[in-house]
Amino acid sequence: MWRTAWAQALANRRSFVAQMAVMVVNDLVWIFFWQVFFRRVGSVRGWTVDDMMVLYAVLALAVGLVLGALANLRFLGPLVADGELDGALALPMDPLGFLALRQVSPVSVGDIAFGIGLFAVVGHPTPARTALFVAVTVAATAVLAGFLVVLGSLAFVSGTGGAGDLGLSAIIVFSSYPINIYGGALRLALFGLIPAAFVGSLPAQLVQHPSPGRALLLAGGVAAFGGAGWLSFRLGLRRYTSGATWTGV
Amino acid sequence: MTAPTTTDGRPNPTRGLGAIWFQVAHSAASSARLQPAALVHTGVHYLIVAVAITTLWTRAADGHSGTIVGYRAGALVWYLAATEVTAIAPPLRLIDRFGADVASGRFELELLRPAPALWVRVAAEIGTSLPRTAVCATVGAGLALVIGGAPETPVALVLVGPALLLGVALTIVAQHLLAAATFWLLDSRTSWFLYQKLQFTLGGLVLPLEVLPGSLGRIARLTPFAAMSYAPGRLASGHLEPGWLLAQVAWLAVLGLVTARVFAAGERHLGDGGAS
Repeated sequence: MWRTAWAQALANRRSFVAQMAVMVVNDLVWIFFWQVFFRRVGSVRGWTVDDMMVLYAVLALAVGLVLGALANLRFLGPLVADGELDGALALPMDPLGFLALRQVSPVSVGDIAFGIGLFAVVGHPTPARTALFVAVTVAATAVLAGFLVVLGSLAFVSGTGGAGDLGLSAIIVFSSYPINIYGGALRLALFGLIPAAFVGSLPAQLVQHPSPGRALLLAGGVAAFGGAGWLSFRLGLRRYTSGATWTGV
Repeated sequence: MTAPTTTDGRPNPTRGLGAIWFQVAHSAASSARLQPAALVHTGVHYLIVAVAITTLWTRAADGHSGTIVGYRAGALVWYLAATEVTAIAPPLRLIDRFGADVASGRFELELLRPAPALWVRVAAEIGTSLPRTAVCATVGAGLALVIGGAPETPVALVLVGPALLLGVALTIVAQHLLAAATFWLLDSRTSWFLYQKLQFTLGGLVLPLEVLPGSLGRIARLTPFAAMSYAPGRLASGHLEPGWLLAQVAWLAVLGLVTARVFAAGERHLGDGGAS
């Protein structure tokens, strides 16, 4: 099925490449911003331009994997609210897996290419660092996917799918900046409520400055938000009502 | 007194263009006001972006004795709170939506109206943006007061309101100019991304133009993107430079003229059977 989703996305190859290229240009502008910023300020709360490049590589790859290769996760809330899960529930496979793999977004696939390319060019990719980069990116992807599923599953209770957009915007914006700039309650919230720290800063710090403590923290984030995503969808399905309309005509 | 619209809701052709334009903008603003959930969504989205970027620059300034590229930390917060309004208040995906309307033939139907389709569209988008601008500016002022403290030059702040409105209007006209590519290319979605990035860099959206390397900052000041975002940001940061308002009006006139010409050519192209 995932192969079908890719085949559909690749059906118009020129459009696919053009959309990917646009996202790469978009990402390059952010790299320009960070280069100019750090050239002027040196470092911010211990973060240097090298740290930031690794953060951006992890973030681009994780966001590309979730919003590009698992594009439907973003629309889980509206699908639930509109009662459009019927087709997935009738299939002999996990409905969440089916929904996640059903669509590929070419624009976000550009992020995947960019994330890999950026790490290859500026991430000093030794075998050990590359293995670490892959591992933390998988972790960041799991946290982001779990968070989106939690947001989408809120629609089982609220009946509307509006929470997804703001939640996605919040996690992507906050994970694009070093966690150390935030203080107090906001910093705590970025670990526990909107898990931006697990998607951007913590994985990047783990690649740049590996430590067992950070690895354990990231693993905890994966378990918490991956588990929360799976559980919230399972519990939500019990409340699901179909959107099918039956008339007596 | 002549009715502003006909009985079927179309602009009344016996009214002047200005009256029609005002009526359309007013209707759009009223509809936007009637959607409080959408306005709250805009306000929260603005707050998320503004908190992140202002915190970054505040921390950067903290590491440089509180001043960076000539801006004190508080002034930077006011600068960014203003520039972000010009990015978030205008309706999103205007270029995409226009492209879809041209492809579906809906825009051709608009050409049958007695009023110019371009200016009716611009009026509607500006009207929709007014409540959004008010929400973002209010949230931004609150955030700037909390994080950045009182504005350094309150008199300059008086000019920020008109500068924000002109900046938003400029953004909308410029997006229509880019959207006009749809008349010939059918798919102008990529131009939306490129437009965003030009406003991001040359407009000084997240970094003051003084930070740009070499002569790029000086060149950026001469572009319409600086008039869109940098101008209100500069005024909000306490620089009493009313010349920026004149620059905004001048760019609005130039872009308005160019956009009208390009739309006229595009509409002729559509009439000849193009883009369908």
